[in-house]
Amino acid sequence: MGSTPGTTGTPGSDGVGRRDLIKRAAALGIISVPTMGFLSACASGGGDDNDKAKTVKKTKDNPFGVAKDNDLDVFIFKGGYGDAYAKAWEASYEKKYGGSVAHSGEQDVTGKLQPRFNKGNPPDVVDDSGSKKMKLDTLHKEGHLTDLTQLLDAPSIDDPSKKIRDIMLPGTIEQGTFGGKFHALFYVYATWGLWYSNKLFKKHGWKVPKTWDELLDIMKDAKSKGIGGLAHQGKYPYYMNIVIMDLIAKTGGMDAVKAIDNLDKKAFVGNPAAERAIEAVYEIVEKGLLMPGTNSLEHTEAQTKWNEYKAVFIPSGSWLENEQAKQTPDDFEMTFLPLPLLPDSKMKLHALRTGADEPFIVPSKAKNVQGGLEFLRRMLSKEGATAFAKEASSLSVIGPEYVDKSVQLRPGIKTALAAVDACPVDERFNFRYSEWYGELDVAIQNATGELMAKRITPKKWLERCQAAVDKEAAKNPDTKRK
Amino acid sequence: MHRKKYPFIAGFLILPVGLYVLLVIWPYLQTISYSFTDWSGASQNFNFVGLDNYKDLASDDVFIKALQHNALLLVLVPTLTILLALFFAFMVNVGGRGGAGGVAGVKGSAFYRVIFFFPQVLSIAILAILFKAVYRGDDSGLINGTLQAVGLGDKSNPTEWLNDPDLVLWCIIFVMVWAGAGFYMVLFSAAMQSIPKDIYEAALLDGAGRFQTFFRVTLPLLWETIQTAWVFLAILSMDAFLLISTLTSQDFGGGPDHSSEVISTYLMRNFQTYSKSGYACAMGVVMLLLTLIVSIVTLRLSRRDRIEF
Amino acid sequence: MTAPATQPPVTKVKVPGQRGGGRGPGKDGMEGKTLNAFSHGFLVLWAVMIVLPLCWILLGNFKTDSQIKSSAWTWPTEWTFDAFQRGWEKGVGDYLLNTLIVMVISVPLTMLLGAMAAYVLARYDFVGNRFVYYFFVAGSMFPVFLALVPLYFMVDRLGMLNTYQGLILVYVAYSLPFTVFYLHSFFRTLPTAVHEAAVIDGASHTRVFFQIMVPMAKPGLISVGIFNVLGQWNQYILPLTLMQKQSGSDPDRSMLAQGLVSLMNQGNYETDLPALYAGMTISMIPVLVVYLSFQRQVQSGLTAATIK
Repeated sequence: MGSTPGTTGTPGSDGVGRRDLIKRAAALGIISVPTMGFLSACASGGGDDNDKAKTVKKTKDNPFGVAKDNDLDVFIFKGGYGDAYAKAWEASYEKKYGGSVAHSGEQDVTGKLQPRFNKGNPPDVVDDSGSKKMKLDTLHKEGHLTDLTQLLDAPSIDDPSKKIRDIMLPGTIEQGTFGGKFHALFYVYATWGLWYSNKLFKKHGWKVPKTWDELLDIMKDAKSKGIGGLAHQGKYPYYMNIVIMDLIAKTGGMDAVKAIDNLDKKAFVGNPAAERAIEAVYEIVEKGLLMPGTNSLEHTEAQTKWNEYKAVFIPSGSWLENEQAKQTPDDFEMTFLPLPLLPDSKMKLHALRTGADEPFIVPSKAKNVQGGLEFLRRMLSKEGATAFAKEASSLSVIGPEYVDKSVQLRPGIKTALAAVDACPVDERFNFRYSEWYGELDVAIQNATGELMAKRITPKKWLERCQAAVDKEAAKNPDTKRK
Repeated sequence: MHRKKYPFIAGFLILPVGLYVLLVIWPYLQTISYSFTDWSGASQNFNFVGLDNYKDLASDDVFIKALQHNALLLVLVPTLTILLALFFAFMVNVGGRGGAGGVAGVKGSAFYRVIFFFPQVLSIAILAILFKAVYRGDDSGLINGTLQAVGLGDKSNPTEWLNDPDLVLWCIIFVMVWAGAGFYMVLFSAAMQSIPKDIYEAALLDGAGRFQTFFRVTLPLLWETIQTAWVFLAILSMDAFLLISTLTSQDFGGGPDHSSEVISTYLMRNFQTYSKSGYACAMGVVMLLLTLIVSIVTLRLSRRDRIEF
Repeated sequence: MTAPATQPPVTKVKVPGQRGGGRGPGKDGMEGKTLNAFSHGFLVLWAVMIVLPLCWILLGNFKTDSQIKSSAWTWPTEWTFDAFQRGWEKGVGDYLLNTLIVMVISVPLTMLLGAMAAYVLARYDFVGNRFVYYFFVAGSMFPVFLALVPLYFMVDRLGMLNTYQGLILVYVAYSLPFTVFYLHSFFRTLPTAVHEAAVIDGASHTRVFFQIMVPMAKPGLISVGIFNVLGQWNQYILPLTLMQKQSGSDPDRSMLAQGLVSLMNQGNYETDLPALYAGMTISMIPVLVVYLSFQRQVQSGLTAATIK
């Protein structure tokens, strides 16, 4: 594990060629015996140029020179957004360029793709998402990602006078930049927070909570009526961390976000925002306001119970409504809620976590890189964004103006988008640590799982998280640590 | 015996040994070579890092925890399964209270034989799906739902079977024993039936009691079968991967908070989630050495003189 | 030799292994009765513990997704077979067929190669015999997942990723250690006289093996065959690694366990538990039928193997 991913340039990422390595390995004796033959086989094997897709002359209409009748291999993470949208894109691509577009919709991205990357036979387009995504940082270091700068500079399909880079929402390019180059197209415009049923709210006469105390009061009232206050997707503490981390961010401001992302010595212990936030969250546990059994549920299990009014609130991202489409009653009135505030918070009530989600990449060793680039360009068009809005009821990073007016988003996502609109751009925040430091993320998730199950105290939670931060910092001495 | 002996031996060994070396031994050896590198698992580029991975392992708390859990599984799964299977075998063969002519097993022995054996023929994936539903933490889980239906469970504070560090490993062990006991029952009852009766008669004439007979006569004579069962169960318990990774929390399972972590889950997480494949291979090598030791010990301990009937 | 006369007065004694050993009724002491009640109770309990979850999950085929996720003892409201259709459409039939295709070849091949190696190692003295034997036995306890990645590359080099023949060879290779270990001790116990007589009669070594030793070893072969069927039937991580689509257009040749787990993962996003349970049930039915029709043979096969 090398340097700080994403933040700075990545030393030693390229350079060492395969053949060079074999020589080195041979010199090292130990490896050479068992792996020599195997390595040389690999060096001569996969990734040969002669099976690459043919190209034609680049034109304004066809900026990557995609030849007709080349096959394209598209791999989609089939999660909360499903994969129907991708099938629509593929059909459209096929219509334009012929050939056959192979579609895979899977959950276990790493399991399916790691071997194929390894032997130099990756798909042409990959939606690298979900809990089993391949780490972009690793892929980048291994030189597996095509530089997508050429995509940014390509003309937009709907208005060739504009470049792709000019139609994307701010922050998208930054988020997909590794080692100074744009490598990943985070396609979905997402937001995270709490969700509730407005129907349930109306029935019990609850008002939208503005402060943490008001939130707790609703939960307490719900408990007295036999409803769980908070459901969370216990098997995946990722979701509960939305609540915890966002509360830390809103209480302590951007400084608190940066402290964690930069592995600060006082990221958790000695950070008053973190200390207050975790105490506040723990109150939910201590007062028995969790939906019974929620700590051990699969995410869709918890969400379905919430859809059945067994709990008032649940944390999730903007894909929630689409994921639960079949389980949600028609009159549920799913509504998004940015986290309520603790007293003296640095951020305002409307502040929320937003970001581009669902990174799409074009592997550099793909057979049809040109086709992959063109596929991404077509995603970033009116047709592409409309298909996505229609099939996944969500917005892409080229914003709502590219979605055909005939498409109606679902009501819940509309409330989330309204909340995003209500928040000025510079008050939106996002954490990066989970992408940069996989083990830190797991450590914090485990601590959260223990806290929610009432097996550790908030103090212990802070200590464990800080210890994990310190451990990560020790491994990455070149971070901007304070 | 000397006619063309060596060509024959070579001819018979070449295919099995060749296949075994090519697909089993050779990959294991390569795992060893990877363990000295910082391989990320995503390409064929890596650097030689000497013993670094092994040094890191020595201070990796999670790895040590996982090793302990593996040791626990290795001891408990075979032991519990075999004990239970012996008990069942005893019951269905001779546990019955005989009438005039004497009956071999308890009433319904044939039924028990069929039912107990059945879990073994279910695919292990089915066990995972089934027990995920059985252990569910809220009232829709079979255990909690049943407990609550009969008024034993606390509806507002149900037992989260797979989210309780003290229970989760036992839940996994239970599934493995549940699935295996019936098969070994059949295996042992077969062996019991093949023990000649005069051996018992001799023991009985010497005034041995039921337990004495069992421990002094039955068990030693079953020893070889038990040994086979132990080896097979040990292989099984080393690889609890599918069950643990689907039933428990964390990527590739092992949760909550590493309390059901075993080497296979931790290895896979390092390999895939953390992109620390070289490190994962080092873990594999340590595991390999330990299993080798366990196999040798087992074989030494269990080598007994064969009794020819 | 079952005369009650040989029975000692200590009536509590039960004789394991003794068929037809008469025990006078009503002679058991109180202690025996309690023990018996307990033992019987435990048998019944264990049977319930096996039957109940299975029946309960079968009931789930007829519930709706939300019914399954609400209280455990909700009763299905509509007895439709819709879920089975959805489960079938998810490809369970194909998974079953794939598994069958592989095992029909891999199990006999395992036994053939295993028997050949075990026989030579058990009955012939030659330099390196012990070494080869321990070489095999050592591998028997190594967990498969330790060799996954290099194995993947090896199978790739053979050009056999996502092919039946590739998986068959791998299954055979990984089943050999246990098979050799088991059959080795079995061949050792077979009487040598017949063998020697045959050799004196001028039979070749190969003929002796196939025409004399294999028939004699049949019980052992049957029981190791059963072990191998169960072992390979439950493989998960090997097919997961080796039987994956190598490109988007490669056909899906998932084995059953792998396919079901993938359905389960899929269900974590677009949840349809009744269909998952139905898929599971569909995959259980053929196994159940085969098992119920052959359970006598399976059990007597195991019995025969232990009578040496």
